[in-house]
Amino acid sequence: MKFFLTLLMAFSLSYGADATIEVIKKVEALPSMAIEDASKDYDDTFKLRFFKMLVADMNVLSLFNVDRHHRLVDFDDSSVVVENKDMAYVLRYKMFEDDNGALNINTKLLQNDEVKFVKNYKVSRKDIYMFISHAIAYDINEFMGEPSVAWMKRKVIFSRVVAPRKSEIIIADYTLTYQHSIIKGGFNIFPKWANSAQNAFYYTSLSAKVPTLKYVNIKTGKVSSVISSDGMMICSDVSDDGNTLLLTMAKSGQPDIFSYNIKTKKYHRETTYGGIDVNAQFRDRNSIVFISNRLGYPNVFSKELGSNEVEQMVYYGRSNSACSAHGEYIVYKARETSNAFSQNTFNLHLISTKTDFIRRLTATGVNEFPRFSKDGDAIIFIKNYKAQSSIGIIRLNHNKNYLFPLKFGRVQAMDW
Amino acid sequence: MKSIVLSSVVTALLVFSGCSDKKPAVDEKAQTQEVVQEVAIVETETVATDDSMVNANAGHLSMSQIESKLPTIYFAFDKYNITSDMQAKVDAAVELGKNEALQYSVKLEGNCDEWGSDEYNFALGLKRANAVKQAIVAEGIDASRIAMVSYGESNPVCTEKTQECWAKNRRVDFKLLP
Repeated sequence: MKFFLTLLMAFSLSYGADATIEVIKKVEALPSMAIEDASKDYDDTFKLRFFKMLVADMNVLSLFNVDRHHRLVDFDDSSVVVENKDMAYVLRYKMFEDDNGALNINTKLLQNDEVKFVKNYKVSRKDIYMFISHAIAYDINEFMGEPSVAWMKRKVIFSRVVAPRKSEIIIADYTLTYQHSIIKGGFNIFPKWANSAQNAFYYTSLSAKVPTLKYVNIKTGKVSSVISSDGMMICSDVSDDGNTLLLTMAKSGQPDIFSYNIKTKKYHRETTYGGIDVNAQFRDRNSIVFISNRLGYPNVFSKELGSNEVEQMVYYGRSNSACSAHGEYIVYKARETSNAFSQNTFNLHLISTKTDFIRRLTATGVNEFPRFSKDGDAIIFIKNYKAQSSIGIIRLNHNKNYLFPLKFGRVQAMDW
Repeated sequence: MKSIVLSSVVTALLVFSGCSDKKPAVDEKAQTQEVVQEVAIVETETVATDDSMVNANAGHLSMSQIESKLPTIYFAFDKYNITSDMQAKVDAAVELGKNEALQYSVKLEGNCDEWGSDEYNFALGLKRANAVKQAIVAEGIDASRIAMVSYGESNPVCTEKTQECWAKNRRVDFKLLP
């Protein structure tokens, strides 16, 4: 009996950790949370804007059933407002401006009218309020003892086309609410963070005669050229230590994958197929996944760096033209309809190299640019559906997708 | 001779005027400081292509005149092979390349429709450019005269969401280089 119990437990544990298997959690099962606003300074528009951001962030944590009523209170009231009496948790905050014009926010988490957690935040100006909201969510998640959501504090870099052959590169928070245009003018695309500290990035400049990979140090603003290739030059991925780049170059018009050592400035050709090989992503230090049309349509393949053996990774989808990898998991974009004459559906799918399961992560529209967070806990992507673009966050272990509508047009490429 | 000098000057002006905004302006103050207020755009005057051609000798074609005679090669959805109905256009381009455009190099610009805005699409655009390159080299154009670039879906000539429009964007353009 004991043996069977152990077996059952081992079985459930091994499968419980597999993100390709859906975990269905009922909304009712989550503890309720209300958010109370005790701000004195700032106008109602700004107060509501911050409240909405905080509700969204707390929702993304997937730990609470978050109440959406904006209720005003006094920060030092000993009990919660009467409507929130039955809430399992109440998060109360007060925004105020100090003499230097900085935005200060004091927070406390209440449970049964008892203060369980207190923390104060400050930023130099109020238009970067979303970073405080993300930090509060991060801290509440830590307080609850859940796996880290450090990705909430990371920045997204993306490019967008503003006119034919004109683009800009933008740095944003993970909801793309804050946006700072860091490169304007010219035709600069495919930005990619150069290291995990996110203080430098690479991008492709098509303004020069030959496509050139550029490196930007954000602190100093210095831009330097890394390497050029006729036809095509894209930095697809950067190794965790920042020393090895996976490039798509097209020496003599043939797009292939190269690894490039930034210390020795030497590159090594990793693929030699006569069709298209692009979008290489590190699975770990020595192996990569990439997109190739070697079967006549784009699909996901893998190989060890330095070896010639190539393995097909995905057996579902007519046209799988983009992917992102994290350890054993691969998320890829699959075209689910094959129609040259009308709207097509592109969905994201998740596979594990250790099981045969395929999990569909999106249901409608054109879903693209999937990118794993550094820790593999979440996937960020862009959804285009019925003339509306949104940025999406998939919480794999919570089986939830969250969407933040975008105000501008198409994203050209994105990195997280 | 006069026309060559004049058209060279016009070309140089066009080339240099096009360069002014291409140097990427990097803002080093990324996250920490106030976004600087953007000033009004600098007003410029553009001379229309037709007006810019100061042509004393009607018998000699300028670069932009030859360029306007070069065809556009269109491709099928998700394909980069040259179809038989496009072969005549390739032949016409080769004919120009061997005669009026003999003194110029050519840049082949590969483009795609909006389906698939990722690296694969850029590679598809490049493979289209490369297919045209192989075809014109096979018909006797010197490969050293040809440069290639892919713009993926970033350089559409048509932005409506229709079948005809997407077909117009799956193309390779010829651009002459002096």
